[in-house]
Amino acid sequence: MGYSDDAYWYEAAYVYGVTHGINAVADGLRLPLEYSDTPARKPLIKAIEFEDASDRLKDIYSDIMAFYQSEQIPVIFKTLAHDEGYLRDYWGAVRFVFSDGKLNRLTKETLAFAASMAAKSDYGVDLHLAEARRLGLSEKGVMEAVQVVQLFSAYTKIADGLQLSPDFDPMRVT
Amino acid sequence: METVRLLEEHEFPQELQKYFEGTKTWFGIDYIPKMSKVISYAPEFASTHGRCSRRAMVDGDLKRKQKEMIAVAVSAVNACEY
Repeated sequence: MGYSDDAYWYEAAYVYGVTHGINAVADGLRLPLEYSDTPARKPLIKAIEFEDASDRLKDIYSDIMAFYQSEQIPVIFKTLAHDEGYLRDYWGAVRFVFSDGKLNRLTKETLAFAASMAAKSDYGVDLHLAEARRLGLSEKGVMEAVQVVQLFSAYTKIADGLQLSPDFDPMRVT
Repeated sequence: METVRLLEEHEFPQELQKYFEGTKTWFGIDYIPKMSKVISYAPEFASTHGRCSRRAMVDGDLKRKQKEMIAVAVSAVNACEY
């Protein structure tokens, strides 16, 4: 059974699109990595910690911690928290995009890990690899994702360099 | 428009024909994709990189459809139309 339903591809596009947006801000602001920050990066904007948050912001933080089943709130959200209204909606979008849908949450995190690697995002690779592992991705599965990213990073550059026009019909279902 | 002339099927060495037939079967198509022609310009590259691709894309802990989706994400991130 393949991914013939458009809903799979909409969900995948949301995942790698939102991942790209998060990574752009996190790496652009040099936010510290969540799990492997050695040497530590010095952020350009200070995060709002839980103890300094308003009650309404604490509610959002609590929801984030529940979603990730962790006491650790990703610093990207603590940085966006300077505009509480923006964070509330943005977190709502992230939670929606990364929740089980047609694609399950593990597939989405694996996709986000791969998209982050392709985009050379230190923040995204660190965050989504840890999350994919937490959700059950095996080390064999990690290497399989790594291989696909490596091979298709090569294919895309070769195709661009030689300006190959597409010869696959993306709507074809065999 | 391609910046190189892609070889026609009959211009490739005979020993690549089996590889091409495998490619058609793999993708369920009746033509040789341009990328297969490109990597087959150098048969040693086709055999090594091509084998890596087959090895990487079969069902493993991740299913082939999940791997194809990752490949699409990589292509999107790299803004590659092909």
